Amino acid sequence: MEMRNQKSRGKPPAGPSIIADYRLQPGVPDEMIDPDGNIRPGWSQLMAAFDKLGPAELAARFERADQYLRDAGVFYRKYDGAEGKERAWPLAHVPLLIEEADWSRISAGLVQRSELLETVIADIYGDNTLVQQGLLPPELVARNGEFLRPLVGVKPVSGHYLHFCAFELGRGPDGAWWVLGDRAQAPSGAGFALENRVATTRALSDIYSDMNVQRLAGFFRDFRDKLFDDAKRDGGRVGILTPGQLNETYFEHAYIARYLGLMLLEGEDLIVEDGKVMVRTVAGPKPVSVLWRRVDASFVDPLELRYDSRIGTPGMVEALRHGSISMINALGTGILETRALAAFMPRLAQKLLGGKLLLPEIATWWCGQAGEQKHVLDNFDNLLIGPAFSTSLPFDDLRGTALGSSIPSDQKAALLDRIRASGADYVGQEPVRLSTAPVYVDGKLQPRPITLRVYAARTAQGWTIMPGGFARVGSSQDTSAIAMQRGGQAADVWVLSSKPVERVSLLPQDGQKLVRNAPGSLPSRAADNLIWLGRYAERCEATVRILRAYNARLAELSKADLPILTHCAAFLDSIDVDASEPMPQGLLASIDSAVHSAGQIRDRFSPDGWLALNDLQKTAQRFATKVRSGDDATRSMTVLLRKLAGFSGLVHENMYRFAGWRFLELGRRLERAIQIARILSHLTGKDAPDGSLEMLLEIGDSVMSHRRRYSVSAGTQSAIDLLALDPLNPRSVLFQIAELRAQIEMLPGGIDDGQLSSAAKAALQIETDLRIADPADMTPQRLDKMAADIGMLASLVAAAYFV
Amino acid sequence: MLYDVRLALHYDYDATVHGGRHLIRVAPISVPGVQRVVASGLSFEPRPQRESTFTDFFGNSVTTLTYVMPHDHLDIRLTARVQVEDNIPPADLSPSREVLRQEISRHWSVEPDSPHHFLSSSPRVRLVAAITQYGEDVTAGTPSVMAAATALCMAIHRDFAYDSKATDVETKPAEAFALRKGVCQDFAHVMIAGLRGIGIPAGYVSGFLRTTPPAGKPRLEGADAMHAWVRAWCGQHVGWIEFDPTNAMIAGPDHISIGHGRDYADISPIVGVLKTHGSHETTQSVDVIRVE
Repeated sequence: MEMRNQKSRGKPPAGPSIIADYRLQPGVPDEMIDPDGNIRPGWSQLMAAFDKLGPAELAARFERADQYLRDAGVFYRKYDGAEGKERAWPLAHVPLLIEEADWSRISAGLVQRSELLETVIADIYGDNTLVQQGLLPPELVARNGEFLRPLVGVKPVSGHYLHFCAFELGRGPDGAWWVLGDRAQAPSGAGFALENRVATTRALSDIYSDMNVQRLAGFFRDFRDKLFDDAKRDGGRVGILTPGQLNETYFEHAYIARYLGLMLLEGEDLIVEDGKVMVRTVAGPKPVSVLWRRVDASFVDPLELRYDSRIGTPGMVEALRHGSISMINALGTGILETRALAAFMPRLAQKLLGGKLLLPEIATWWCGQAGEQKHVLDNFDNLLIGPAFSTSLPFDDLRGTALGSSIPSDQKAALLDRIRASGADYVGQEPVRLSTAPVYVDGKLQPRPITLRVYAARTAQGWTIMPGGFARVGSSQDTSAIAMQRGGQAADVWVLSSKPVERVSLLPQDGQKLVRNAPGSLPSRAADNLIWLGRYAERCEATVRILRAYNARLAELSKADLPILTHCAAFLDSIDVDASEPMPQGLLASIDSAVHSAGQIRDRFSPDGWLALNDLQKTAQRFATKVRSGDDATRSMTVLLRKLAGFSGLVHENMYRFAGWRFLELGRRLERAIQIARILSHLTGKDAPDGSLEMLLEIGDSVMSHRRRYSVSAGTQSAIDLLALDPLNPRSVLFQIAELRAQIEMLPGGIDDGQLSSAAKAALQIETDLRIADPADMTPQRLDKMAADIGMLASLVAAAYFV
Repeated sequence: MLYDVRLALHYDYDATVHGGRHLIRVAPISVPGVQRVVASGLSFEPRPQRESTFTDFFGNSVTTLTYVMPHDHLDIRLTARVQVEDNIPPADLSPSREVLRQEISRHWSVEPDSPHHFLSSSPRVRLVAAITQYGEDVTAGTPSVMAAATALCMAIHRDFAYDSKATDVETKPAEAFALRKGVCQDFAHVMIAGLRGIGIPAGYVSGFLRTTPPAGKPRLEGADAMHAWVRAWCGQHVGWIEFDPTNAMIAGPDHISIGHGRDYADISPIVGVLKTHGSHETTQSVDVIRVE
């Protein structure tokens, strides 16, 4: 076979100086340099543009892309320990360019392949004629863990099993694109493709607009429209079903939910009533008609699928049997990812479509057949040997799959025996030989192996291919290093058009009728997390204020055993904060809890708010390692206070005033009311030492108001008046309660036909008590009872909206 | 043989259950030529807010219960009249294991009764080298698949002690095998693992067994129990044959079948997801009474 780039071996390509050192691998085709050693047209334009920018500007541009990703909080989760850590998104800055003609071939091939997969899966879960005709071995179905028997005979309500698929492609030594694997279960990465695009165009906006790069938004718009059309037909909502925030691609689920305006749902958000799927919202159960699932099928229903699933919805399979929910993709489609199936696709295409596959796939031999088994054994050293029923891509499967020649001789004999004894469990595959593309490393471009992930969606016009995708770039020449879990990177994919491209946005265009969507219902779980986010953020603020007052006095008096300090430390102790620690663990725990609550609802507030909160957490953790009590701690608390105010500002000034914001606000007001009432009680008691009043006003951020309002008669009574009963002081208990009462009345069912809900009644009761009280009435006992009553109010809200 | 079967399952919950869903598989099904269900009724107390039935992949009858209201117990009652044919065990016309292997590979079907579903590991039965070895040892020299299955059935009866304290419903076949103890569920699972290990398709049957009181003693009410045994695919000609390793016999007119699957997980009497913090106590009573 002729190698595409033989002639160029060793010879530096002519052209832009940035590629002067670009050395190709012998025998490996390259995306940028053609077999004759010439730079391809689109690439020459890109490289010339890089040259024009110069090395310093180019580096600055790429840094801008990284900065964007950091600011947007793009991450994925990497599993290297018990619990994965969030990692920054590894963007390879140079986009992969694909010419229009190449792309048309890929597109046509993938549309054909999607149709073939649909026909195969409909048969597997339907009449099973493919097995009866000998086109598909029964073992590959019956012994397959992805063959979900409860779904046999369950026809998808939409009429189709597949709606959204991904394909992993590589360019082989002959220059043609090959299919390396099909993703039909719950393909990931489409959202990351979008983020790659945004980040790359931040860096290269001028070049991007000059190069006629095809846009991605139209693809997402068409798919979204189809989802909503399907849902409208059935009268319910559209959601993305996510396994939750510990999943490696949770960021992407939240991102797509925000981008397309879908509800982000977890299994426990959903219930099945009378065979219908409902989402538990703060306004009661609401019907759901379409679920775009990012959860592997067997986890979706603990009753009929995996009994040990903790992230499922009992009864989901029953709902599918009733045809009341459309699952994107249908449960059971994961069987299409089975590696051994690749061996049968060419024949299936011939029989079912009457023609050849437009895009070939890597040659695969299933050892469950005698002839094929012999071929694998005869060519053992030159084939990738792996598990037949694996659904991972050959180069992602680092434990189970290896090149025959790389298997140590002491293990080889045993493996050969196993293949002979239970051949059905093994496949041999042609080793993946990938093309290279330029990646930017330390100011230079180097060729690295790449694979291309392309997405297909079923839209009103049938199968549509995303004009772009996401390229995985190896971290070295080794093709097995492509997996991101092993340090590979991801690059944007630019599909070049010969004509100027049409600009598409998901926002309505001029001339289109403006439709204001009714705000979606808030899932109860999200509301619960919002309340707790509000509460923890406020608890942090209260704690920080008290710690600042404490440390300021410690610095001034330099003796920790003075009455005012021990009195204050006793209060801190009651909220699990140890005043002797410069940066107490109790405070760090509250910050962690706030971050955890926020992490569950990433789709509900802005990336800026999330980053501010993370910044707060990092700062506090850094302080914990070096801050000393006294002056140093006082200054540190001031820094934390400003960061907390920054978070609150970002969230409260930017959140749309609907149910979500209301619950966040409830959390904040509840916590502040409780904290103020308790510290008031503690610092106005008979045993309160000298200096308590000043400390109270400082903690309550009311020193100036107090001076202005009570210049003559300042004392305990005036402090109580200002911090408990003043309706105009935004730090008073009454102010919080008035706000709480107003918000609770506006919640679903808050006032129904003039009837107050039990939470609204309780809030009104507390507010009325405060409005008619005199400062003298507000004894420490009364204040403590009030704090307890407000705690009860929180329970009433929880009982009404979260159960 | 005509039987009246009565089953009562009682679940007592430690803490109030605020809702739950269950799949119930206790109602016998008609199997042409083997048994015919004359009448069958299932009742539940408290009454579920929703109840429906469907037929699962293997052909078993499943009742779905949904509870929304708080409750602290669940009673399941089955009464059924079942006619069981008094079939003579078939003559051994089954092939050798080598021929069986060829027959399986020519069996192009994934219908529910296809042997392909019953050859590899299933949710509750992993293939284990030790059990496979045991299967090889005790079937050595047997000329046919049916003879091999019979040999394994007899060997388990001989080598294992019936001991209801030694295992529980979650015990894995490998554990029961190591103990050489257990109850009908364990024996069935071990036999299934052994048969599959030596290439014979095998599944799990759940049902009832009529017991005969010791001579001179009266029959005790509720003394019978739910029972489990094994079905093995003995080739194209003979098909599925049921073996009872607990009683060292081929299942006959005293065996009333509820249904079958790859293992216990496919045909467990009750599967449930409950909203509760506590656990539960179970009691069970079964009566199998011969009517004529």
